[in-house]
Amino acid sequence: MVRRLTAILIAFEFALWPHADAARVLASTSEAPVAELGVQAEPLVIVVNRSNPSDNLSSTELRNIFLGSRSHWTNGRRITLVMRDPGEPERRTILRDVCNMTEDQMKTHFLRGLFTGEILVSPKVLSTPLGVRRFIFNVPGAIGYLRLRDVDDSVKILRIDDVLPDDKHYRLRILNQVANE
Amino acid sequence: MSSQLKSAFALKPRFLVPYLDRLLIAASRHNASLLLFLVCCTVAAIGAIAIRDMENTSADTMKMYAASVRGLQNIGELQYEAQETRRSTLYALTTNDSNLQVEYADQSRNADQRVKDGIVEYSNQAKEAEETALAQRLALDWESYLRVRDEVLASILEGSTGEAVSYDLSGGVPAFERVRRDLNEVKRLYGENAAKSQARLAASSRRSTWRLVGIQGFTLLLSGAAIWAIQRSRMLNAIQLAKLQMEFVASVSHELRTPLAVLNSAADNIADGLIEGKSTLKRYGAVLQHQSRNMSRLVDEILLFASTEDGTQRYVLQPLLLSPIIDSIVKATEGVLKDSGFVLDLTMEPDLPFVLGDVSGISQCLQNLISNAIKYGGEDRRIILHAFEAGGEQRLGREVCISIMDRGIGIDSSELERIFEPFYRSPQVSAAQVHGTGLGLSLAKRIADSMGGRISVSSEISVGSTFILHLQVAKGDDKKTAATSFPSSLSLLI
Repeated sequence: MVRRLTAILIAFEFALWPHADAARVLASTSEAPVAELGVQAEPLVIVVNRSNPSDNLSSTELRNIFLGSRSHWTNGRRITLVMRDPGEPERRTILRDVCNMTEDQMKTHFLRGLFTGEILVSPKVLSTPLGVRRFIFNVPGAIGYLRLRDVDDSVKILRIDDVLPDDKHYRLRILNQVANE
Repeated sequence: MSSQLKSAFALKPRFLVPYLDRLLIAASRHNASLLLFLVCCTVAAIGAIAIRDMENTSADTMKMYAASVRGLQNIGELQYEAQETRRSTLYALTTNDSNLQVEYADQSRNADQRVKDGIVEYSNQAKEAEETALAQRLALDWESYLRVRDEVLASILEGSTGEAVSYDLSGGVPAFERVRRDLNEVKRLYGENAAKSQARLAASSRRSTWRLVGIQGFTLLLSGAAIWAIQRSRMLNAIQLAKLQMEFVASVSHELRTPLAVLNSAADNIADGLIEGKSTLKRYGAVLQHQSRNMSRLVDEILLFASTEDGTQRYVLQPLLLSPIIDSIVKATEGVLKDSGFVLDLTMEPDLPFVLGDVSGISQCLQNLISNAIKYGGEDRRIILHAFEAGGEQRLGREVCISIMDRGIGIDSSELERIFEPFYRSPQVSAAQVHGTGLGLSLAKRIADSMGGRISVSSEISVGSTFILHLQVAKGDDKKTAATSFPSSLSLLI
């Protein structure tokens, strides 16, 4: 009963998305059975500046970028990594599904990388989805992540392993249990 | 008095003034206030023009003031927002907090959007080629600055402060300087346009002032002319009245002097014992009687006129039969007619209705008309008196008319309007040495009016004149109170 009510609430929230792409994504997502996808598994999208030439990243490339191993885009622009505050569900999802690290491991990794010079710039930390979106809009080389409902026209959604967030095989999702951790 | 009058008339210019005076006399006879009304209308019309002119000037001033305020406000806002764009960008340099940096970046972008809107508005309002070109240049320079600003913002957000400062110094500062110069140019152009508008308004104001002065002068002139015309009209009236009174006094004096001379002469002859014999004395007595009656008649006429003039003469109107009154008048005038060698033809329609009037009033009125006919009856020496019933005017109902027609010298049509004026005597009559006071017809008209009747006249030079006394027919109820007695003798002023 509680799960059904939650599903209805989430569906209502999705219906309020103003963005056309987001609506398309919602429509395709709605085609999949709720029970199969799990209504708690909200897609987490990787977003970049609209001037960024990349449309797709592999899981490996994404991991390298988020771990600071890759510092420039194909057009030569410096990559600026945007993260949410520690403890946010979106950040935990990235740490878990992309970096395969815990928060502490991540901190240690970046401290070591900056110290050794392997990593040039530490990630920028923003406290709100709006901040992330505006940051990426202002910085051509920025990359970050947002819930699907927080996305608008000012940023570009990247495919991961050629899969869009509206695909049922899309891997990055904020799971309920993750949110409740 | 007469010398004053002469000098007053001697002052008249030769050509224009006599015509003007004639016009003024004619106008004043009807209504002098008509002139005042015309003046008021003219002043009102001129006032309306002046008010409209002032309203137009005021509207122009308000329009210019509003445009100045709006223009200054727009330029001020444009300058402020441009500074705000740059200021917010530079604020982002002062912090390492990415959240704050994003906030400053947003502030900068919002301000730059307002600058773009301001430039578009300026471009839309541009009227001259120079303004349009400047608007285009400003838009281009602003875009150029924004490109540098975006790079600077990106560098700041990436954390490359040094790079951001470098970008700003190398590109941002010169680009913004160009924008600043453009904005100063906008300000200069606005100042020039405002000066032009001010000059136009000053010229318009000067025109309005001159127009107002002109209108005021014209109004003053018109008012002066109107006052002069009214005063002159009054003066001419007074002069004319004085002239008529002088003529009246002269005429009355003359009329009195003749019988007085006869009386004096007769009295002297009797006193000196020059009269011998009863028959001679009787003849002297008859002369004295006749002349004293003439004097008495003249004095009575003047007194009667005075009484009608101040309204003390009141007639008691009652239904009357005309035939006995006319018979009485015929008898009373028989002697005068005979002495003058006139014959009176009397015709009366049978069964004439009762008329509403006063016996003495009707008698006096008819006597005056007969006397007038005798005076101006000419060589034909025949007077026709005809009494008849007529339909009368629509509003007056039925009436009985008594016409007195002569075949005398007649009256010019231009004189017909004036013959009923007191003391008026036509120049032809005066020249013909016909004696009279100028009161007879005026008196007859006043008596007829006071009885609810009227007198009409038709005349033709050298053919004769016909005066008609119109009397109202008495209503059926009035006849019950009809006069049953008629005075055995009438005191008539012939």
